[in-house]
Amino acid sequence: MSRIGVFICHCGENISRTVDVERVAEEVGRLPGVAFSTDYKYMCSDPGQTLVKKAIQEQKLSHVVVAACSPRMHEKTFRKAVEAAGLNPFLCEMANIREHCSWVHENREEATVKAIDIVGMMVERVKKNRILPTITVPVTKRALVIGGGIAGIQAALDIADCGHEVILVEREPSIGGHMAQLSETFPTLDCSQCIMTPKMVDVANHPKIKLYTYSEIELVEGYIGNFQVTIKKKARSVDEDKCTGCGVCMTKCPQKKIPNKFDQNIGMRTAIYVPFPQAVPNTPVIDRDNCTWFKTGKCGVCQKVCGPGAIDFEQQDTLIVEAVGAIVVSTGFDLYTIAEKPKGSPIKGYGEFGHGKIPDVIDGMTFERLASASGPTGGKILRPSDGKEPKQIVFIQCVGSRAREKGISYCSKVCCMYTAKHTMLYHHKVHDGQAYVFFMDARTPGKSYDEFWRRSIEEEEAVYIRGMVSRLYQKGDKIVVMGNDISVGVQVEIEADMVVLATAIQPQKGADALAQKLGISYDKYHFYSEAHAKLRPVECATAGIYLAGACQGPKDIPETVSQASAAAAKVMTLFSRDQMEREPIVARVREAGCVGCFACKKVCAYGAVEEKEIRDRQGNLIKIVAYVNPGVCAGCGTCQATCPSKSVELDGYTDEQIIAMIEAL
Amino acid sequence: MTKKKMIISQETMDVDFVRKVEALAGTSVRSCFQCGKCSAGCPMATFMEHPPNRIMRLLQLGQWQRVLAGRSIWYCVSCETCTTRCPNTVDLASIMDALRKLSWDSDGASKESYVQLANKLFLQNIRTYGRQYEMRLAAVFNVKSGQFLKDLMLGPKLIAKGKLKVFHSKNKNMSEIEKIFTRIEEMRKKGVAL
Repeated sequence: MSRIGVFICHCGENISRTVDVERVAEEVGRLPGVAFSTDYKYMCSDPGQTLVKKAIQEQKLSHVVVAACSPRMHEKTFRKAVEAAGLNPFLCEMANIREHCSWVHENREEATVKAIDIVGMMVERVKKNRILPTITVPVTKRALVIGGGIAGIQAALDIADCGHEVILVEREPSIGGHMAQLSETFPTLDCSQCIMTPKMVDVANHPKIKLYTYSEIELVEGYIGNFQVTIKKKARSVDEDKCTGCGVCMTKCPQKKIPNKFDQNIGMRTAIYVPFPQAVPNTPVIDRDNCTWFKTGKCGVCQKVCGPGAIDFEQQDTLIVEAVGAIVVSTGFDLYTIAEKPKGSPIKGYGEFGHGKIPDVIDGMTFERLASASGPTGGKILRPSDGKEPKQIVFIQCVGSRAREKGISYCSKVCCMYTAKHTMLYHHKVHDGQAYVFFMDARTPGKSYDEFWRRSIEEEEAVYIRGMVSRLYQKGDKIVVMGNDISVGVQVEIEADMVVLATAIQPQKGADALAQKLGISYDKYHFYSEAHAKLRPVECATAGIYLAGACQGPKDIPETVSQASAAAAKVMTLFSRDQMEREPIVARVREAGCVGCFACKKVCAYGAVEEKEIRDRQGNLIKIVAYVNPGVCAGCGTCQATCPSKSVELDGYTDEQIIAMIEAL
Repeated sequence: MTKKKMIISQETMDVDFVRKVEALAGTSVRSCFQCGKCSAGCPMATFMEHPPNRIMRLLQLGQWQRVLAGRSIWYCVSCETCTTRCPNTVDLASIMDALRKLSWDSDGASKESYVQLANKLFLQNIRTYGRQYEMRLAAVFNVKSGQFLKDLMLGPKLIAKGKLKVFHSKNKNMSEIEKIFTRIEEMRKKGVAL
């Protein structure tokens, strides 16, 4: 016979305001199996927990029900307290009489009756609770970092410096990401390349970091502590071991007019190329779509001039499998497509701004390349159309961002600051020019950020005009900007030489596909979701996968670096032990009943169901049944609901327990 | 005031005028971030076609013609509430002073004769008597502005309460007062004072 202890919490007044807690304690005390019941003002407080512990020992309780808030809030607290008193923590259950009862009802009498029912159900359920042993799984102390921008670089360096091996995978031919494209960085105006390239070189030289550039994640299997990742290394057509990075192949390549994506397509590159001079690794890649050899089978100049014979036209894509214990996702962002509605996307374009039609309407990243000393103009601000220096330049903020009609309602967070930076860079480079900024709000929270923005106005003479632009159109070689100054309340018209649009930040293209491979969740914009917006901001809900940088939401560099280091710290916490403990709320297969249909395997979102052979003593195969790997199982219960022969049970939520609860009503 | 569209360019933004205002007022026009606190507390804002914050905004855009074309700057009573409360240390009251001076000098359309007349007579009184002689100020103002009976009935009440003296009392140190006036006049000639 069980001796159940029931503890009713007042939650200050949150529960006792609508529920007669004393009556609940009294009535529940009369239920069969309940040996002790009491109420207390704050059960989660130290005296409250002591009350629970004391009762367990004095009353020799076998099970505990705490009727209080949601189990999401305090289940862990009370299970810990119960464990401290010598009971198995999984013999303690929470009855939620706050969110499910007192908060949503007004009638005291009815709420009290409902609370008695809720507690009564949990009493019946806890009677069927089993002692569950904690599950331990081994941990592979190697980490995978996906994406080699500043977030990935920082996370990889932090983990590697701690002595653990890191595999860094980057889709592009070089690491560096968007930060390598920037000219200067706010709020200090230090050169992005100058602070970025040393870190890139550190990654290349670090003995603990294995770098796969021009590679993509093909498949992710396994679970926290034990992932198997298949990486597709795309054919570079250049042997990385032989190549010395001399660059002769690039100077001799006859295909010289290919728009360079790194320069936002305003600069040109050759068919065999490194995206930028400081690339890491400094090994070129042959762009097979534009290479004469791959198109016509003739040319091969690069092969002829290459001293070490590194050019390999026959190279194939290779698949590499790596075992890792943790994954940091840092795939970064992409910029909003301004001109037209991208195919298949709910997000609309800005026809009225003429981006793509008017050559001198560019986006912020293109301006970065124009302002960059290593960019296509060598750092001179020149119009793409005729190469003239623009004397009147207009910046428009919130293009895409905060535009519900266009499909994006969030703020892209960095545009206010980078536009202020752009006006300064422009003022430094074009002394007789004038910069205008159309803005709705200036959002500059951050250390020294607002001062930076004010400096662009007060010292660098940018004219900020509060109000959105309605339309842009070409008039001769000028672009007419039709706006409105809402502080004055009149329409404003500016004839500009160049217009720069601060476009919204979006997740990298293909972010959703990668999330599906990893089994992590994402929001409607395809930004990856953290486990808890406030208290677990760098972890995914899927154990063992962590987030860093703009793939989780728009972020500036300092915030990205902080988050990357935070993710690295989480990985290091995981790696600090050889075995890790997991909550034993997992599914179990009753092998006698399982017919091996594997319906459970099909529905399992975590890949936890495996096939297991049952053999007799002679070793003859009797049947193949399902087996749930407790290390992988997340305890969602989908398999239990699916199993046609009722052979899968989720511990803590068995059919027997659920039926007992219903019968208690 | 006209709601005419503003064409903004380096030519239409008169930065020199703004610099002149800033030099005279000793404060920055660009510092204003349009929070509107000046207009919120201004006792005269309801009479102005451009409340103080909009005057600042128009100055930032170098649109001084729009400012001086209106009467707003003449409605300002120099109570300095705006300056006292500005979160970004803009001395708006001084800017108003500077604008009035520049408006006067440029012989602009906004020369509001009554305000100017009152100011002139006020200073003349000080120069003559060394302190204010309200009876004379009121009488001369009414005569010169052609409103002979204006506020006439207030006179006896103010005299009864001792607020208005019938006879003047002259300052004993008139030569010092005269020195102040001549010095300011010289400074104005040099352009270093308002």
